[in-house]
Amino acid sequence: MAQPETAPPRPAPEPVTAPATPAPGVRIDGLTVVYKTPAGELPAVRDISLTLEPGTITGIVGESGSGKSTLALSLLNAVQPPGRISAGSVEIDGLGDVVGLAGERLRKARGAHIGYVFQAAQNSLNPLKTVGKQLLDLGRSHGVDDLRGLVREAKLLLGRMGLDGARVLDSHQHELSGGMRQRVGIMLALVLNAHLVVLDEPTTALDMITQANILKIVREVHAERGLTTLVITHDIGVVAEVADRLAVMYGGRLVEQGPTREVLRAPRHPYTRGLIQAIPRLVGDIDEARALPGRPPTLATVPKQGCVFRERCALRMDICETDDPAALADGPRIVACHAVGVKERA
Amino acid sequence: MSATIIPETSGGISTASAMRRNFWRGVWRVMRRKPSRLAGAVILAGFVFMAVFGPMFYPDNLPGDANAITRPPSWEHWFGTDPQGRDVLALVITGSRYVLLSAAVTALITVVFGTGLGLFSGFKRGRWDTVLMRVTDMKLTIPGLPLLLVLATVWKFGNPLQMGLVLGLLGWGGVARAVRAQTLSLRERGFIEAARGLGLSTGHIIGKELLPSMAPYIAMNMLIAVTGAVYAQVGLFFLGVLPYESNNWGVMLNLAVFQAGAMITPYAIGYLLAPLLAILLLTLGIVLVVDAMDEIFNPRLREE
Amino acid sequence: MITGTGITKTFKQRGGVLAGREVRALRGVDFSIAKGGAASFIGESGCGKTTLGRIIAGLESYDGGEIAIDGTPMTPLKPKQRQPHFRKIQMIHQDPYSALNPTRTIHQTLQAPLALRARQTGRSKQWMEERAAEVLSLVGLDPGTVLSRYPHQLSGGMRQRVVIARALTVDPEMLVADEAVSMIDVSLRLGILALLKDLRERLGVAVLFITHDVATARYIGDDGELFVIYRGQVVERGSVDTVIADPVHPYTQSLLSAIPVLHGLEEPGEQPVVPLESLDESQADTGCLFARRCPFRGERCESELPLLQVTGGVPQEHACFHPQRRSVIARPLSGV
Repeated sequence: MAQPETAPPRPAPEPVTAPATPAPGVRIDGLTVVYKTPAGELPAVRDISLTLEPGTITGIVGESGSGKSTLALSLLNAVQPPGRISAGSVEIDGLGDVVGLAGERLRKARGAHIGYVFQAAQNSLNPLKTVGKQLLDLGRSHGVDDLRGLVREAKLLLGRMGLDGARVLDSHQHELSGGMRQRVGIMLALVLNAHLVVLDEPTTALDMITQANILKIVREVHAERGLTTLVITHDIGVVAEVADRLAVMYGGRLVEQGPTREVLRAPRHPYTRGLIQAIPRLVGDIDEARALPGRPPTLATVPKQGCVFRERCALRMDICETDDPAALADGPRIVACHAVGVKERA
Repeated sequence: MSATIIPETSGGISTASAMRRNFWRGVWRVMRRKPSRLAGAVILAGFVFMAVFGPMFYPDNLPGDANAITRPPSWEHWFGTDPQGRDVLALVITGSRYVLLSAAVTALITVVFGTGLGLFSGFKRGRWDTVLMRVTDMKLTIPGLPLLLVLATVWKFGNPLQMGLVLGLLGWGGVARAVRAQTLSLRERGFIEAARGLGLSTGHIIGKELLPSMAPYIAMNMLIAVTGAVYAQVGLFFLGVLPYESNNWGVMLNLAVFQAGAMITPYAIGYLLAPLLAILLLTLGIVLVVDAMDEIFNPRLREE
Repeated sequence: MITGTGITKTFKQRGGVLAGREVRALRGVDFSIAKGGAASFIGESGCGKTTLGRIIAGLESYDGGEIAIDGTPMTPLKPKQRQPHFRKIQMIHQDPYSALNPTRTIHQTLQAPLALRARQTGRSKQWMEERAAEVLSLVGLDPGTVLSRYPHQLSGGMRQRVVIARALTVDPEMLVADEAVSMIDVSLRLGILALLKDLRERLGVAVLFITHDVATARYIGDDGELFVIYRGQVVERGSVDTVIADPVHPYTQSLLSAIPVLHGLEEPGEQPVVPLESLDESQADTGCLFARRCPFRGERCESELPLLQVTGGVPQEHACFHPQRRSVIARPLSGV
């Protein structure tokens, strides 16, 4: 949830439910985000194109340093310095290209159009204020006239997620459990009637049972309110549970994307394959699970040219050293790997 | 598993000396990062030099020029002269030894006492902690200034060591509390628990694991204690509650205001400003250097 | 190698609105872990599994019951006398970032316990250097590159390996791994799990794995024993394979049902169990501790506490009045 900045109440509030059609589509095209470091500007996200179809849940999977959180922040045009979006566009239905937005219009767009739920909502709530007060702050900063209506809506949403709305609004952050905080985060993201929701690591640090509950809520609320949802996680299991479409990031690149079930059943990129193989399972031969060799690159160690995954890749070829594989589409599936390309051509 | 190749590079002694060299190289890197830090270090070095060697350039009793009493700054006397016709700059320089020596003693006592007690209290917890913290609380409630006034009636404070000792014994309470709080939070860290689980001695845990983690904190407290001590003693002398046994900045301020009449006559302005400027510069130097402590003692921040 | 009988532990809340309220972290837990064996404690956070692990590693005291290490009861011993016994049991913490002192190099970190060891056994400095290199090689790290590094120069996975190497310096007989992979990148987790498994096989070190994820527990050792803990009570106990394939306690079943299904590779179990409400520590202690959340509770569950025992024709111990097998876990899709 974006912390409301204390802005003066606007004299002529804009309508909260913007003319945006429910469930907007999002088209990310050629997005590159660079971070300024002593070693020059390094790309955290490089040349990524991804489409979120209206009304779908997309899951982005990646390890630390894969650039998944940076990508999510780009959706809000909220990349903080020393980072900046250096190329590409993020077109959101009803908003246009958010990369060009700035100032007051950008602030309004966050919250009213795009709801953002931060990592397990652990630190995104103000510890000194009750949830209700933070809700009112949010409403005021977005020029909501009908604050009673806002509270009613919030209680409704919390009730929908199995919480006692009145009690939760009266609580401080420390009085809520991890799962409850996460639900409050979802409520704050949705209460201004946003139809595009970004969930960043929604279940990290939560228990299995709580995680299952939150994922169920995400799925149900998504369907009921007609949302377009983006889930960012390091856990393939989470994506497998909720997402229609799966995108895998590695070293700032999108290496594979496609319908979740298809990708899980028959992963094409060696990294996706390795990730799925590295999940310990409940049945079957234990020794089938295999660790990926090596370790994920950091901003500083990502190869400047050639394939970002080649250091850990079993299918590595000469061309991987020099040429960055292009993302090639095959029906709904897109893969960026030289080895896969060869197989298909053969 | 036993067929392990032992690399050549892990010799015990060479590693240790190499590490020490790396440390100082890191310190230099940290200081160079901001010009203000270098400036602070230069200022502090200058004051230390002044306190150690400065008085050697002057006779024990500064000569007074009866024809130049309470003069404003001039080319001959940069900060003017005092009511006895002595050069103010010479007074500041000769007076620095008392101020800095007593401040150093205060800082040392504050840090050694405060850190020792805080560490012990926070690490042992339980009954010892309760007792020591009650003592600390009681100590914190003793009002320092009135006590010093009372002490001044029986003690002359002519010796900077005495002054430092008294101020130090009055000042360790805050540091003890702060260090204890730090210790309490650090002792829950995984690496302290691991050290206990491995059976490492309490001495090792406190000296090698806890203390280095708190080094920036202690160094900062020490530097800040120096400023505190300077203010405290200068204040005491300025108020005139201590006899003018020695030559120092506080005495100068007192004489400038109450004897030379710096508030009334512009002639004594140099006499008033010189010690003030010295205190200001010293504080500035410390503040500028404190900023580097965190990076100096943290290996991650020390690197480029 | 270690047995516990009737271990209890109560925490008193300090400060705040709940001051003085008691939380019963452990309510009489029995366990035993054999030399070179494997065991896992499973449960939600706050169930007491971590507290129990810490008690086993000698990092926490217990209020009641008895712990015996290699047959020696610990309660009559003074803390100093317990130390050598508990040193055989080393803890691997969840967070490899706080488990290593940021101001000390890996060399220094390993030398401290080795120096202690060398003094006890009268070995040389040369031995200490050799041993440091040896334990690093054991955990799959290159001593030449790692020894002179500071922790911040290593990745999470490498740090966790260093933590394990440090534990190995004192020749432990058991490692207690508390959520040891949850803060490590997914592609590296299995490597750490494999290492623990490997150390168990090669060095005969027993491993106690504490987690909320049953699948990782299975990976460490499918011949091991699984303890499912709920609010300080063991509610189900049996071999890993039995409990995973045929869980009978509704709480175990909820835990297993909650594991994400890899759609496309797996299909969900036929009878998933979803708890009615989320965990609330303030719930009353009368009757079965799980009753309030249990979809299958009966009248007896409200008033009487079921004890851990073998009944109902199932091989594992359980604490439930209505034990019933349910097919809750995801099954692999055929032809994949």
